[in-house]
Order: sequence, then structure tokens, then C-alpha cells
Amino acid sequence: MAHVLQFRHALALVALAALLIFWTQAGYFGMEILAEIAVFAILAMSLDLAAGYAGLVSLGHAALFGFGAYMFALFTVLWGWPASLAVVLATLATGAIALIVGAVVTRVQGVFFIVITLAIGEMGYEFFFKNRALGGDDGLSGISRLDLSAIGVDLNDPGIFALFLIVVAAITYLLLVRLLASPYGAVLTGLHDNPGRMRALGLPVRTYQTSIFAFSGALAGFAGTLSAQHTQFITPNLLHWTTSGEVLVMVILGGLGTLVGPVIGAVVLTLLRHELSNVTDYWGFWLGFFLILIVLGGKNGIVGWLAAGWNALRGARPDDDRAADEPAEGEEASDAAR
Amino acid sequence: MLRADKLCKAFGALQVTRDVSLDIPQGARHAIIGPNGAGKTTLFNLLAGELAPDAGAILIDDRDITHLPPNRRARLGLSRSFQKNNLFPRQSVQDNLLLADIAARGYGYRFWPRLAARKDAYRKAETIAGQIGLVDDMQRGVAELSYGAQRQLEVGLALMAEPKVLLLDEPTSGMSPEETGRMLRLIDDLPRSLTVVMIEHDMDLVFTHADRITVLNYGEVLMEGQPEEVRGSDAVQETYLGGEAQ
Repeated sequence: MAHVLQFRHALALVALAALLIFWTQAGYFGMEILAEIAVFAILAMSLDLAAGYAGLVSLGHAALFGFGAYMFALFTVLWGWPASLAVVLATLATGAIALIVGAVVTRVQGVFFIVITLAIGEMGYEFFFKNRALGGDDGLSGISRLDLSAIGVDLNDPGIFALFLIVVAAITYLLLVRLLASPYGAVLTGLHDNPGRMRALGLPVRTYQTSIFAFSGALAGFAGTLSAQHTQFITPNLLHWTTSGEVLVMVILGGLGTLVGPVIGAVVLTLLRHELSNVTDYWGFWLGFFLILIVLGGKNGIVGWLAAGWNALRGARPDDDRAADEPAEGEEASDAAR
Repeated sequence: MLRADKLCKAFGALQVTRDVSLDIPQGARHAIIGPNGAGKTTLFNLLAGELAPDAGAILIDDRDITHLPPNRRARLGLSRSFQKNNLFPRQSVQDNLLLADIAARGYGYRFWPRLAARKDAYRKAETIAGQIGLVDDMQRGVAELSYGAQRQLEVGLALMAEPKVLLLDEPTSGMSPEETGRMLRLIDDLPRSLTVVMIEHDMDLVFTHADRITVLNYGEVLMEGQPEEVRGSDAVQETYLGGEAQ
């Protein structure tokens, strides 16, 4: 079963290689797209932890993303703190908010969970939309980037900044792979598959659900600090539920609970949005058409389709395909023990 | 080892558990029987903590657990299986057992060390898999197992917690005669130090494998005694065994 994980890591490597090749060819606009892809890849991975692995499908994830961005802007622009400190503190502050929110929202399940996260997310949106001190609906501008000139890196160069974000996304991926191979990672799939049994076996289910909601939120906040540095101008739209929906689409499009899927989803959706809008005014229509094609057929997003195709090429047994559609950190563990 | 003191539970106007008391010593094989609707499952859910009693107390090892949630009870040594298979259906047998180990021993918060490095957990999973007769199926997905094997895994998950008291909710429900035989051997082979409490429909199983029986009827304890006494009781014959024979 380890080949499932190997396949996914191979996909991640291919995605990284593709982004790096694109980077060598990209002009100014291409660099902007690459930076956007990297930020959304991190955000989508963070949502996959909660939604894909732990089964907590949140429609308020962008509110945490936007909160991180606003905290970063508040700390740097309004309070004049150094950007490095602001990244850390904005990430922690978002984690703290997500911890409080998580303690509340994990009281309910299923569709109620979706609605309550949506409602709390919209509260966040409204707050920043109305708050004049933080620019209200005009947003906040004048945000500066991390200063890495000490090590000879100028992040104000669009190409360097895009590369920096791609590296950060790659490191995030590797750290999350490690997390998912831990006992904690196994607990996440247990919570996804059968929280009631986990409780009967001795796990304080809500504590764990709250913890992953908080961690996922902190990571979303971190992505927010990167987004603020990328665009250097933020508006409350970052927190809007449509942004949450878009990230959720990235995760589902790529493959829920696969970690690499959300990365691929971020790449594909961002590229399609930019490229299709050049070709046709009906780009939203064709995007929807593409999404329907991918999701229909019972495969777990693009990763599911690719795994099925790969297995068909190898002439593998059909049940390998089923395994490939599933979150698999426990599988890696079982393989390593063999 | 496990004690219940005058447990009461009502759903609306319907009193489903009335002053039920149990005192089950360590190592007992205790069965709870009764006709459909007698309140067996409710009593079980009260003991396991899925439901809170309206009145009464539950003690394990003289410790009051009446107000503890199911996960705290599990950590105190009260482990249960479910009447309907309640597994992790997308995972392998081994991963099911490992998840049970993580939950039961409370190391799920460890987010950096690899699960694969927990050789003790893998060894224990191996041991329990041997006990439930699934050692050759460790790498198979739950969905590939026969119904009977899934029932065995159901008990295996409960055993991974190394419980003091094992609550079995109709362990042989829906099983073929062979599968039932295998499950009975599994139960017979459990260590004698373990206290086993089971709800069971199968009368043969109850009379041959329990050393003490509580008969419930309309939420009340109709009688409690050894299998011979229960078998010989007119009241039990009338309310339950007679009904069963129809």
C-alpha cells in the first residue's frame, strides 16, 4: 500500500518541477501567478488537514486566512513592527482565534458545522469590512515584505519572491507529510472515518477536533501573511465566504485528504482562472464544466483520476485504485513496519 | 469490578431503565438478557457512557464514573464492542488496531515521531490479531473481510484497550453457526482476569458461556442468578423463553 504514498510524493515532485520550469520562463505576470499559486497551495493544504483528513468541512476557512493577512498588516503598517516578528505573531494570533472558534464549532456536526463556520467567517468579514481603523471596505495598502537582505535575498523582486513562496510551500508540504505519518496524523483519519468509535476507544474527540481546527487555522493565517506580502494591499474580500468556497473547490478538485491534491487543485484552478479568462468571456462556465467532469465518476479529484490512470497503465488490480483514492498515512506506517 | 446502583433512564414518558442494579465481580462472565424492548441496549449505553442516567450511579473498581464521558470510561478500563460493526472501514485491519491503541493509550497528541516507529503498538496489534484470529488478514482492508471477521475485529478493537471490563453488545448477532462458534471460542479464550459483560440474544450461548445472568423485562431486573436458576425460573420461562419459542 506504500505505493499510494509514493505515487503522491511523485506527483508532488512533478508539480514542484513544473512550477520551477514555469518560473524559469515566466515574465512579470507569470511570477504573480506563481506567487498566487504558492499561497493558495499552502492555504488549500491547511484546509485539507481539517476537511480532507479530519472530516471538518469548513466554509469559513478564508476568514482565518484573511485574519492572518490583516494581523500582519496591522503589526507592520500600523504598529511598525518588523515583518519577521509580524509573520510569527500573526500566525499565532490566527491559531488562537481558530482555537476559540474550533472549541465552539466542533459542538456540531455535518451540515450544521458547515453553516456555523460560514456564519463565523462572515462575522469576520463584516468586522473588517466595517472597521475604519483597518481601512474598512477600502482595504489596507503599503504592506512591505520580509527583509532577507541579510542573506542576499531581495524579496521585492517578483521572481525572487515567487521562488521564495514556492520553497515555503514545498517545506510546508514536507512538514505536513511528517505530521500525517505521526500518531496524531493517524488520529485525524480515525476522526474522519468514525469519531464515535474513537471516543468509545478513549479519545477525547472534541479536544482533538479543536486542536486540528486550530492548527489548520494557524497555517491558513500563515498563508494570509504571505498573501498580504504578495499583493501588498489587502481588502476584506480575503475573508469572504466565496474565497472559502474557492479554496474548498481547490481541495476537492485536487483530491480530498491527499495533501498533494490541494496543491494540484491550487495550480489548476489558478491557471484556469487566468488562462480561460484570456480565451473566453464564459470562462466561469467552462471552469464549472471542467469541475463537473473531474468530480463525476466517483474518483477522488485529479489525484484519484491520475492514480486510476497510472494503475490502468501498470495493469494493476482494481482494488489498488480504491486504495489510491484514500487518505493513507496509516498505510505508510504499516509498510514501514513490514 | 463493575457496579450499577439503581440506574434509571426515561425517554419522555417511557421509562426504559428502572432501578437496575448490578454487581459484577472481577473475572465474571455476566450476561444480560431480556425480550426485545426490555432495555438491554439502553442499559449498555448507560454503562458505556453514551447515555447519562436520570438517577443512580455506576462504579468501576469502586470509582464513580456516572458522570464521565465514554472516552474517560474507556481510559479507566471499560471497553466496549458494538452490536452493529463500528470500525474504520477504509483502513486495514492493522490500522484499525493501531488506531485503537493510540486512542486507548492516549498518545494521539504526538505529532512528530512516526507511528511506524512504535514497535510496541505493532506487536500488540499482532498479539490481538492472533487472539481474534485475523493475524493473516492484517494488511487487508476492512471492507474485504467477511462479516464474521469484521465482528471479530469489532471485539479486537475493544481488546486493544487492555480493558478491565469488556462490554460485548450481541457479539454473535447476524453470524452464521460457524462464525458464532469462532466467536465463542474467542470469548472463552479471553483471560480469566478480564471481566466480561455481554448482551446476548442467543440462549444457548448465554446458558453455556455465562456464569451469571441478569434478566431484564420492561426496564426492570426480573431476576438475577446462575444459568440453572434462570433456566428453571417460571417467570423467566413465561416472559422470555416462552416468547422466544413462538
